Amino acid sequence: MAQQEQDWSTTVRRSNGGVPVGLPAISEQELLRRKDFLEIGEADLKRIASINDLAERYADSVIEDFYRHLLNFEETRVFFQNPATLQRVKNLQKDYFLRLTQGNYDVAYAQNRLRIGAIHEQVGLPVKSYLGMYNFYLRAVASKLVEGFPKRPADAWAAFLSLMKLTFFDMGLAIDTYVYSRERTIREQQEAIQELPTPVLPFREGMLLVPIIGLIDTQRARQLTEQLLRAIRSDRAKVVVIDITGVQSVDSKVANHIVQTVEAARLMGATVIIAGVAPEIAQTMVTLGIELTRMTTVGDLQSGIEYAERLLGYTVTRAPHKSIPTA
Amino acid sequence: MRASIMKQSKTLIASVQGSMTDADLAQLRDELVIGVRQHRSTGVIVDVTMLDVMDSFAARTLRGIAQMVKLLGAQSIIVGIQPDVAFSMVQLGLRLEGTRTALDLEDGLELLRLLENGEPAVGD
Amino acid sequence: MESPPLVTSDGELIVPIRADVDILLARQKARALVMPLRFSTSELTVIATAISEVARNIVSYAGQGEVELAIVQQGARRGLRVIARDHGPGIADIERAMQDGFSTSRSLGLGLPGSKRLMDEFQIASQIGEGTVVTMIKWEH
Repeated sequence: MAQQEQDWSTTVRRSNGGVPVGLPAISEQELLRRKDFLEIGEADLKRIASINDLAERYADSVIEDFYRHLLNFEETRVFFQNPATLQRVKNLQKDYFLRLTQGNYDVAYAQNRLRIGAIHEQVGLPVKSYLGMYNFYLRAVASKLVEGFPKRPADAWAAFLSLMKLTFFDMGLAIDTYVYSRERTIREQQEAIQELPTPVLPFREGMLLVPIIGLIDTQRARQLTEQLLRAIRSDRAKVVVIDITGVQSVDSKVANHIVQTVEAARLMGATVIIAGVAPEIAQTMVTLGIELTRMTTVGDLQSGIEYAERLLGYTVTRAPHKSIPTA
Repeated sequence: MRASIMKQSKTLIASVQGSMTDADLAQLRDELVIGVRQHRSTGVIVDVTMLDVMDSFAARTLRGIAQMVKLLGAQSIIVGIQPDVAFSMVQLGLRLEGTRTALDLEDGLELLRLLENGEPAVGD
Repeated sequence: MESPPLVTSDGELIVPIRADVDILLARQKARALVMPLRFSTSELTVIATAISEVARNIVSYAGQGEVELAIVQQGARRGLRVIARDHGPGIADIERAMQDGFSTSRSLGLGLPGSKRLMDEFQIASQIGEGTVVTMIKWEH
């Protein structure tokens, strides 16, 4: 991945002035719900506040150990090649670490955590590494706590559990950013597919083939019909095969549009064959009351093309024992 | 603007010129009917290539031509509906039921020939 | 909610509708009026068809009325607004009239729902004995 060669500063700068493009929204209620679920209560907050001084004392050493660990592994080392980057990142991580025990875990806190998670995600750090980092951190802190509460192991343990709850709170937010980002990518890809122009392909003389891929919305359907009608005129097509094998589902809008396209083509002297009609789609169309008697539909593309060819008077024969030459 | 009607052996060809008023269309229909009887035509082609808008009246009139002419024993073909016009028509719900259509005059004449010879045509 | 569209053409263009020739005139005037706008040929045909239908309704049911044409603007987009007015008998059951296949007389009665499909915005108001007003807008895309 090209991103792995980038240092953090470049990546952060590129992503919208340091603010990652698009963060999931988080509300007060949602935060409360999560804290409830993790059973983060007043007692926890008190304990965490009580170890804040301790945290400030051992922050540097934890961070040093942390990065020493990361640099031991190829997968995480690649992100910190540049010494200047490494230092900057250590400082950021220290701030992150210290913030954990400074109290006031409100919407602003959550947004900050989301932002940091998003940066990690955009830099290309895998989820497993991100979670692995939390794991290291908790273990490092655990040993420091034992040192910091020499005669009160029960208190150390209680403090650790409280901190652990908060860490899981943080991790939940971090994972949210990864999920959000994935979902956004999927949405963008779907939109990109929708933007693809649908080709209207001259297939044989007098025949046009229109393979429909992906989702059709009203706008795209309209463009397609206009394109098809113009192609009927310019190519003098008498038969059009519209292949809907790639169409997952047909709602009433799309179904009506198909009917309109068939009728408009007829007005121009062309016959439309709808090919690739899956049983579910056939069912939907019957349920919607689409008058299938007015349309010619076939189950698969091959049948559609053969039917079209017969209409135009073509017969396709295959020479016997023909072998395809290999290069 | 009026349409002009040409005779090509047993076929009458009416070319609609530009925008026509309702009265013009009605007159066209009447003249075609008279013409079919007079010349014992077996085929009528109505070329609407130049028609910029097909509304419900125009559609009704064209269907009327097809029906009347059929009663007199002739086939009729509507040709030359343009992409934009076809698109608007179907959105409006105008389907020209009961009429035959072809892309243009050339295809229309070919279709008439096939029909008169009893040969199968695409879309039958 | 957006503010209502503002008329930006030099006022509104009124085309009296009394006979079928006026239907043609209304279409032609509309085409001329929208020349500075970015409508595709396909959209121009659609506009002309919708105007033809509503103007025809005036001739068929009310005997006379008018079609008002104006260029409107709303925010960044411009469009053509068509208002078809008459003082005819009015439509008793608008809901039924807006269903496909409704017919009051010899006419196919396809005009209203079809026009709605053709245009971007469509409103109809009608009072028995008072008349009918159909307002349609087609926006640039």
